[in-house]
Parts: sequence; C-alpha cells; structure tokens
Amino acid sequence: MRIFQLQRFSAIALLVFLTIHMIVVHYPPFHIDFAQILIRLENPVWKAIDIAFLGAVLIHALTGAYMVVTDVERVYSYRKPLAWAAIVIGILAFAYGSATIWAFRMPA
Amino acid sequence: MSDNGKHTNVIVRIQRFNPDNDQKPRMQDFQIELKPGTTILDALQEIKTHQDGSVTYRKSCRHAICGSCAMNVNGKNELVCKTPLRERLDKNGVCTVRPLPYLPIIKDLVVDRTAFWEQYLRVKPWLAPPPTVQTDREYRVSQEEVAAIRNAETCIMCGACYSACQVIALNKKYIGPHALLKAFLRVLDPRDAIPGERLADLDGSDGVYRCHTIFNCIDACPKGLNPTEAIETLRKLAQRRLKVEEERLERQKTITEPIA
Repeated sequence: MRIFQLQRFSAIALLVFLTIHMIVVHYPPFHIDFAQILIRLENPVWKAIDIAFLGAVLIHALTGAYMVVTDVERVYSYRKPLAWAAIVIGILAFAYGSATIWAFRMPA
Repeated sequence: MSDNGKHTNVIVRIQRFNPDNDQKPRMQDFQIELKPGTTILDALQEIKTHQDGSVTYRKSCRHAICGSCAMNVNGKNELVCKTPLRERLDKNGVCTVRPLPYLPIIKDLVVDRTAFWEQYLRVKPWLAPPPTVQTDREYRVSQEEVAAIRNAETCIMCGACYSACQVIALNKKYIGPHALLKAFLRVLDPRDAIPGERLADLDGSDGVYRCHTIFNCIDACPKGLNPTEAIETLRKLAQRRLKVEEERLERQKTITEPIA
C-alpha cells in the first residue's frame, strides 16, 4: 500500500511541477535563453522547487519501475533486495542532483 | 459457399495437445456444416461425435451458467456454449479455438485451473457471520446494500478474466480478478463480520495494488461484470480499513430483526 500511495502522491506532485516547468521553461511570454535560466536559478526558491521536482520524479519512476519489475514471478521473490536497491539508487540520485542544483552559481 | 454468399461448410481450427505424444501444441482443421443456431460448443460436439473422438474440452450446462466451457476464440476468451459460430468466422470461414491462455494445458482445450482455485480460496470466499448468531432473528439487508454488490454476485467463475489478465500471465502469485471480485462481494456484504481482516489480506504486494487497470478482465467477462471497478473500490477501502471495520460493527448492531 505504501508504494501505491507514494506513486499516487508523487504523481499529483509531478502534475503540479510539470505544469510549472512547462509554463516557466517552455512557454514563457518571451524568448527564454540560458541567461534567463541563470537568473532564475540564482533564486533559492527556484532551487528548492527544482529539488522537490527531482524528488517527485525519482519517487514516481522508482516505485513504478519496482512495481513493473516485480510483476514477473521470477523476480517477485527478490522484492526486498529490489526495494532496497531502489531506495539506495533514489537516495544517491537525489543527493547528486540536489547538490548539483544547490551548488549552481552565476558564472563570474 | 451457398447462393447468398454465406459459408455452409466452415472450418473450426482447434489447438491440439496430447502430453503423451506431442512436444508442443499444434493446430488441426475440422470442416463442419454450419447449421442455423450452431454455437461453437455445438461445433466441438459435432467434431467429437463424428470426426475425432479424442478432441478434449470441458462443458457442462450449455446455458452459460456453469463456467466450464471458457475458451479462447479468435484471440478472445469466451464461453463457447453461448457464442454462435457464424459470428466468429473470419473472411475465409475459419474459427480458431484455443485453450485459455497463460494456464498449463492438460489436453487439447482443457487447462489446469489449480492456480485459479488456490487464489480463490485464499480470499476466504465464504461469508463470515458475526460470532453470536441469533437463531430467532433474520438478517435484513437494504436495497442499496444489495445493489452495491450485485456486480459481483453474478460471477460464474469461468476463468475468462483470470486468463485474460496480463499480470497473471507474468505472476501466478497475484490474487487475480476473479478472487478479488469475490472478496469485493464479501467485504461489501453487511452480514460479513471480518471486512478488516479481508482488506488486510488484500493489502499485500500480490493483492489489489498489483492490478495495473489494463481492463482485459472487463473485456473478457462473458457476464459483463467489472472486476477492475471492484478492485479499485477495494483499494480505496483498504486505505481506510479501520474505519470500514468500525462501520461494519455499527451496522451489524442493527442488521438482525425478528423473523417476519
């Protein structure tokens, strides 16, 4: 049940984040370029939003992959090691991605 | 062909497999005369009686109520006793009959349903009455409560949904749409005293959350039932299991009334 709920909550979060992402990055009222992305990422609120977005993507993707992979009977008995592998991959990817976003600075 | 362009002699293509002689299943064509009202089961019976007595299949009631004769016809699971042969002929006048997919074949069109029944028994398909049954009173269930479970009541356990489920194809440990539909029937039945226990059992990794809402079970059901909707309802109830238990305890306080 927890995996199911995690996937549903992350799906709702993704709906919000993807809407923000599409509006801000792909459909701005003016042309967007790298310079504007640099300005946006100077703001810590945007960094927090991007980190939360990354978290939602990782939770949704890893829980989905786990559910699909464990559909196969041969893999089914390895549920616990697979769950731990997904958790470790998720934590590592989240730490790496968050550090990259947070460390982003406007070039001097 | 007759004058009106309809096939009078048609081919019934049957998947054959005899574990004593065959390494793998093979297809065999039988030509029969198409008479008005011939069902696929009639055609199989005709073939068995007049052409090849070794053709093996299950049948019983011939009235679409026993669920014995579920088979795969032109790629879709159906009850062959209620399916007219004429409606299942392709443009060459051929109808292909195979056993239910994803289940071990015993012989020809007969499959081993052990996994199907094991999962069925797993959900405790029987009604669990309250521990103190009063013999001088009777249960009174409202029309609304009956209407809620009507969907599940008419299941004939033919296995068409089970065998059409893609999750079952990969994993026989999944409870399956047939048993979940029965669990739905019991969980929603106000006479049942253990809905919480049932929902806890369905909450595991091979329970209601394993369904990917592919809808094959709905498409395959010869009775037009909706196992997917039942599974979705069980998912919602499983997430508020304790509340369901409380509500049932309250309901059972008023469910019995003096015998009319």
